[in-house]
Order: sequence, then C-alpha cells, then structure tokens
Amino acid sequence: MGKTVLIVDDSASIRQVVSITLKGAGYDVIEGCDGKDALGKLDGRKVHLIISDVNMPNMDGITFLKNVKQLPAYKFTPVIMLTTEAGEAKKDEGRAAGAKAWVVKPFQPAQMLNAVSKLILP
Amino acid sequence: MDMDEVLKVFIAESQELLQQMEEALLMLEHAPGDSDTINAIFRAAHTIKGSAGLFGLDAIVAFTHIAESVLDRVRSGELRFDAELTALFLQVRDHLGELVRLVDEGIDLSSLPAEVQPLHTQLGDCLSRYLPSTDSQSQLRATERIERGHEHGLSADHWHISLRFGPDTLRNGMDPLGLFRYLNTFGRIVSLVPVLDRMPAAAEMDPETCYLGFEVAFYSDADKATIDGAFEFVREDSLIRILPPHSKSDQYLELIRALPEEDMRLGEILMRCGTLTATELQEVLHTQVQSQQRAETRPIGQVLMEESLVQPPVIAAALQKQQQIKDNRNNENNLIRVDASKLDRLIDLVGELIIAGAGAQMTAQRCGHSEMQEATEVLSRLVEEVRDSALPLRMVQIGATFNRFQRVVRDVSREISKDIALSISGGETELDKTVVERITDPLTHLVRNAMDHGIEPADKRMANAKPAQGRVWLNAFHDAGSIVIEVGDDGGGLDPQRILAKARERGMLNEGQQLAEKDVFNLIFEPGFSTAEQVSNLSGRGVGMDVVKRNITALRGTIDLDSKLGQGTTVRIRLPLTLAIIDGFLVNVGQASYVIPLELVEECIELNSDEPFERGHLELRGQMLPVVRLRELFEDDSPRPRRESVVVVHQAGLRAGLVVDQLLGEFQTVIKPLSKVFSACPGLGGFTILGDGTVALILDIPSLLGQLTRVSEAPQRARIEA
Amino acid sequence: MSSDGLYRILPLEGGLNIYSASENMGLLLHALAPETELELDLSALDEIDCAGLQLLIMAKHEAQRIGCDLRLTNHSPAVIEAFELSGLASFFGDPILIKPTSE
Repeated sequence: MGKTVLIVDDSASIRQVVSITLKGAGYDVIEGCDGKDALGKLDGRKVHLIISDVNMPNMDGITFLKNVKQLPAYKFTPVIMLTTEAGEAKKDEGRAAGAKAWVVKPFQPAQMLNAVSKLILP
Repeated sequence: MDMDEVLKVFIAESQELLQQMEEALLMLEHAPGDSDTINAIFRAAHTIKGSAGLFGLDAIVAFTHIAESVLDRVRSGELRFDAELTALFLQVRDHLGELVRLVDEGIDLSSLPAEVQPLHTQLGDCLSRYLPSTDSQSQLRATERIERGHEHGLSADHWHISLRFGPDTLRNGMDPLGLFRYLNTFGRIVSLVPVLDRMPAAAEMDPETCYLGFEVAFYSDADKATIDGAFEFVREDSLIRILPPHSKSDQYLELIRALPEEDMRLGEILMRCGTLTATELQEVLHTQVQSQQRAETRPIGQVLMEESLVQPPVIAAALQKQQQIKDNRNNENNLIRVDASKLDRLIDLVGELIIAGAGAQMTAQRCGHSEMQEATEVLSRLVEEVRDSALPLRMVQIGATFNRFQRVVRDVSREISKDIALSISGGETELDKTVVERITDPLTHLVRNAMDHGIEPADKRMANAKPAQGRVWLNAFHDAGSIVIEVGDDGGGLDPQRILAKARERGMLNEGQQLAEKDVFNLIFEPGFSTAEQVSNLSGRGVGMDVVKRNITALRGTIDLDSKLGQGTTVRIRLPLTLAIIDGFLVNVGQASYVIPLELVEECIELNSDEPFERGHLELRGQMLPVVRLRELFEDDSPRPRRESVVVVHQAGLRAGLVVDQLLGEFQTVIKPLSKVFSACPGLGGFTILGDGTVALILDIPSLLGQLTRVSEAPQRARIEA
Repeated sequence: MSSDGLYRILPLEGGLNIYSASENMGLLLHALAPETELELDLSALDEIDCAGLQLLIMAKHEAQRIGCDLRLTNHSPAVIEAFELSGLASFFGDPILIKPTSE
C-alpha cells in the first residue's frame, strides 16, 4: 500500500521537483498550489503526510495548517513546513498551529526525501 | 575481582570461543553455507574483539576486526566459505589462539614478539584481500574508533539511543515506529527494549498521549549527525540521548542520570540491550560511587551506609536477574549441550547409588554400630539430594511440544473447514524428556479429536450463541508430584446418554448397571468403544481413544475426561514427573523377587491351598478373576509353599490376580531397562537391584493383563465396576 | 484454566492508530471484565501505530489488574511488524503464528 503525500506550494517547480523525487522513491503524491486549493484536493482522501510552504497566496500555510487540524481525518497527519532561514517568527506561529517538522529552503531533493523518510517510508 | 582475574576470564572465554570457532569451521566442510554455523563463527570473532578491547589488547582487536569484516561479508552473502577461506580461517583461529596464549603468559602485545609478527601481518593481508577497497577505508575508520575508545571505552560497538517521547508526539503525527523503520534504512536496530514506566493506569490514560520510551542498540556506520538527524522532528519535546559506540563509562553514567527512570533499572535495560555487560555496568555504577565520594568528604562509613552499602546487594540481585534474562537470550553460550545418553548414564548411576546406599544402611543397622549408622544416614540423605538434583537434569519444558500444535491446528482446521484457534498455556512446565517424547502422539490424537468431533460447525455454534471461531487449548501444570496436561475444547461436549447406549449395545455394561457421569465419559477410553457415526476420515473417536489411554498408561499416567453438553470437553492427562523411579510393591516367588508398580495394586488376598482355582480363574466376591501363578508364568520349578497370596492388579478397567509366595511390602524402585535378550520375554518391564544386592524383576502389568485377558474368553473378562 | 468463565472474542479491524485510539480505548475497556477470558483477534488489523500499541499495553495491564484472562491472537502481518519493531512481542507473550506469505 503506497503512502500518499500532499505537497502544497505556490511554486510549480518546487512542487514538481518534490513530486518527482517522492514518486521516484515510491510515494503517491498529490499537489496543491495554495492552502485553499489543497483543502479542496484533500476531499477526505487518505493522506499520510503533508508538506506545505508558509508563504502562499489565497490561503497561507499557517492558516491551511490550522484548517487541516480541524478535520478529523487529518487531525493527526504529520506536517512538514517549508521555511526560510529568516522565518523564525513564522516558525513560532506554525509551532503553535501544530507543525513540528521544518525543512529550510532551499533544499536538495535528497534532503526532502530524507525528511519524509523520517516520518513515513513509502 | 581485580583486573588480573578478569583477564583470566577473558583468556578462558577466548579459548572456549576459539574452540567453538574451530568446530564450526570444521562443520562448514560438511554443511557449507549453514547460516547458524557462520553466525557462530562471526559471534566468536565479534566477542573476542569486544572483550580484547576492554583490556587494551590492540593487536587482537585490530586483527579480529579484519576477520570480523570478512565474516560479515560472508554473512551478508557477498562471500562464500570455500575450502580456501575455511583454511585461512583455521589459520586465523590458530593465530588468535597463539595471541591469547601470549597474553596468558603475560607477554605485552603492544609490540608483537618477532616469532609471531610475520604470520600476523601475512594473515592480515590475506584477510584484507577479501575486503573491497572502500571497506578497508571504513575499516580504518573503525580501527580509529576502536583506538580512540579503547583507553577507557566499553565494549559495545553499536550506538546506544535512549528515547522518551514527548506527550504530543503521536498527536503531531509522529509515530516512533516510523522512526525505527527509518533508522533501519541506514543501519540495523540490534536490540530494542520498550520502557513502559510512564504508562498510566487505564483510568488515567489519554489514548492520544504518548507514554512510550525505548532504549535502542543501533548498529550503523553512519556518523553522529545522521543518527541525530533522524530525530530532528521529535527532538523538541522528547528526551533523546545518543551515545556512540565504545563510549566511556562516565558517559554511560551521565546517560543513566539524565534519564527519568531509576538508575538500577536503567542499568538493567542497558544490559538487556547488550550495550553494557554486567562487568561494565558494575564499573559504571562504581564510577558513580567514586564520584559521589569525591564530591563530599563525609566519613567513609556514612558514605558507605548511604550510598554504596545500599547499592551492592541491589546491584548483585539485579545483575543476577539480568543474567538470567541474558542467559535465555544467549542460551547457546550459557547452556551446555549434553548427550542425552550421558544423562541417562548419570541417572542410572544415581539409581545404583541409592541401592548401594540402602545396602550400606542395612549393613550398618545389622552391625549395631551407632557411629556407623549415623554416618550412613548422612550419606543416604546426601544421596537423596543427589537424586533430587539429578532428576531435573532430564527435565525439559513442554512448550516446544505444545507449539508444534499451532501448525497442526492450522492445517487441520483448513482441511475440515472449521475456524479453530489454539491457545497454549503452561508451556514452561517441565517434565522428563522421555515422557515429552512419548506424549506427542497421544496429544496429536486428542487435539485432532477435539477439532474433528468436539468443535461444532460454525452455523451450529452461532445458533447456540457461541463465537463462530472454535477454541482448542493445551495447558500444563504441576500438581502433587505429577504433571497434568489438559486438552480442551469449547465444542459440543459429550452426550452421556449416547455413550451409555453404545456401551450397552457393545456389551460393555450389564443391563441395569448404573454409572456416575464421569465414569460414563471414561467409557470412551475403553477398548472397543467406537461408534460408527463418529468415525471420520481424520480420526475415529473410540478407535483411537483406547490407544491413547494405552499410551498414557504405558507412561504410568492416567487419563480422564470432563464434559458439559453444549459447552465443551476437557481431557486431563496426569503423568509422573519421571519414569526412572517408581513406588514398587515387592513380592517373592521361590528364590526370585518381583516388583509390581504400587499404583496398580488393588488388593492382596490370602490363597488357601485347599481352595484350588480351576482353569486360571478365581471367584472373587461373585466375579470371575483371571489368575496366574508367577511360578508357572516364569517356569520356576521350586516347590510351592503351603500358603500363597494373590495380588490383585488393575489397569484400564482390566483386573487379574497374580499368585505369589510372599508379600514383602512397599519399596522405592529405580527402574533399570532390561537388555535386548529379555525382549522376547513379555511381562517384564525392567529390573532393579535390592538393598542386599539381589536383582528383582519389575513386572510389566499392562502387558500381563493383556495376555491374561486375551487367553480368557469373553465371559471371564473383567467387567467395568459400577 | 477455567472453562466456566465467560469467554469472548473481540475482533479489532482496520487501523488501531492515533485516529481511532479514543474509540478503541472505550471498546477495550468495555470488553475487559473480571473473571472472564477475552481474546483480541488481530487478524483484520491492517494498520497499527504506537497509539495502537499503547492501547494493547493498557489492555494487558488492566486485564492483569482486574483478573481478566486476555489473549492476543491471529496477529496480522502489520501487527507482527509493529511488535517486532517495538520490541513488544515478548511483553505480550502470546504465541505469534507466522502465516505463509502466500496467504
């Protein structure tokens, strides 16, 4: 049974790199281009891990996270937040919303795969 | 224990391991590729390396490390033990033996003696050829690590990771199991002990809060940052401690102190992980005491009272307890395998010792020498103790036998399309090895019977409000000097009315004869009780039950059965703990003595010679009893005495009388097997030696009963008693 | 072993994990009763995580406390893997029947 990862980022190139990397490792990947879009994509599907950027149009990562944690099906789904070195303030906000895993941008594909593996294996 | 003594232990241990290594290497010639054998070789090298490090024997450590790396490649299947490699390893073994011998002679190995140096280098080179070039780099790293650590470092060559997960770990979507899976992607979790100390009582538990902790022994060539990185997402609210291989004892002490559990308990866990050996734990805790002493300059007496005096007994007890657990884990190292025939020989000798002891005591009594009598009493008490400690040597746990039935139940349930689960309890109960070997067949029969006839089809079970899945269980326990084995099922149970009807139909019961319910059930163990409608392809109840009973009685056991209609059946087998010694009843015919197992003796009657019995039968309280003179049976020509006695024996519902000259009374008998010469002589089950040195033959009552009742015709057959 | 006491089988199905932990905790506590035998049939558990393991530990502790004979049976492959990973197999001590992979 393949594990499904949702990647939410407004940058298509980041989504694709992550998607290709994870698919190559055996994960199923769904993509969302912002928080709002991602909430729609979830639609009750079984998702094992969510990767989300913080700064996004329409609905930012923190709001998205707060919304996701309200949904019973995703209440306990692990979330990796993508952040920049300068984003310490946002990090505190995210932590309060329930994000424990952070990956600093820019990252190498292998780093992302490694981070994901620490939470779930394909 | 000082370092010199420990060194001696190391030398003895190494010699033993090298011996094992040699045996394993030789065994490989017959069974190349056998993974157990290869593992044994690896373990030997691994252990020698680990302990040599403790003593700063770098030459041995470095040399064994290369050997171990080669063995690791064999283990992983990259290399094979061909004739050449086996020969090389035999040389390696001999060389290690030589190094250990030098250590024993007190020679400093920091610069190798000239006579071993060339071979040392040559063998090292030969071994290195089996390693890929990249590996020799990591090998260098490993050697460095060892050299870094060996000054005060401890033996563990794995990382030790202590984890106490924060309460929100699970809520945050982090599953410790996922972390373990991740660790296994770049290393190997050698052992892992869950720490459940924080688990609250059910009433206080929040099912979403994490209470778990783990102590993990993790083998990996990865660097500290990588291992540390595995925990980056849980680090925030969890307690994580990582110790590299060969850490120093104060680092372990620090670890033990940093963790929330009690020190001694943590020490135990570290030992269970294999991270610390018993000696090392002692060393670590010793450091603790020392540092405490340094910190406070209180009177030494007070320190001892408050700190160390309280500790050592605790340590000793804990170490001992831990040792037992370790013993179980590494039992191939701590258990001695002994040829069963050697044990049999020992039990034989103990038997003879009992006899000789009894003889000595008798003589002493006859002499009337009081000091002599006292001495023999002490002797016989000791002999009894020897007997009591020798008999358990042959005892084995029944668990392994029980476990084989998991497969039986699985296969049979599929075959007969019934959903049946087997549960096992009391597997740790011990009994004589001989008994265990001979109990499997009867048990198989009973288990299959329970599945076949006991458990009803699923629809019938559901209709009776029972779980659809049938249940069969095996249980064992000790009870009053015997072992009880139960085979139970939660099936339909036996119908006493139907059994009675069948028994009457088959002439096993007289009309109007009344039986208690329990006796009714036990009818199914009688020979010839079989009801066609119950016979299936698998097992025919009745056809087999008398055979089961015969097998059990042959082991001097008994069998009975409990059943509740609609609720299930339990068959209970009661067996003696050992077959070697029985309570016997000694009788005498002419010059010869015979022993009858006491439990089979029903009563003894005096026989008037003017009341001759006709055609081998005697009327006893209105019933015909088949009777035989032992004198005639064993063709003894000695004259008959005026008075004779009849010993009435019974078994499995059969009775017979044995006519003897004299009744000599009860007597503990050590059974000795008869040689094959006597196998043609039915009716004898063995022999024993009496206190005065004469031989007494032990009668095989079941076979005698069989003979006697077969000779006699049906009307004379012993009846089941009301 | 008493065959007189009540004997029940509770099959656990699907995921025994953080999502279902609260629900299953109630189920388990309800099924545990003194002087009875309770068998947890794990054959249909296709997912178990540490939250699930904790529940089984809780059930075992509670069963011991109130005198209920609790047994875990028919360990599914997911359960076997989790027991092995967590080092808990020996804690529960129930015989684990390894089924052929063809099944």
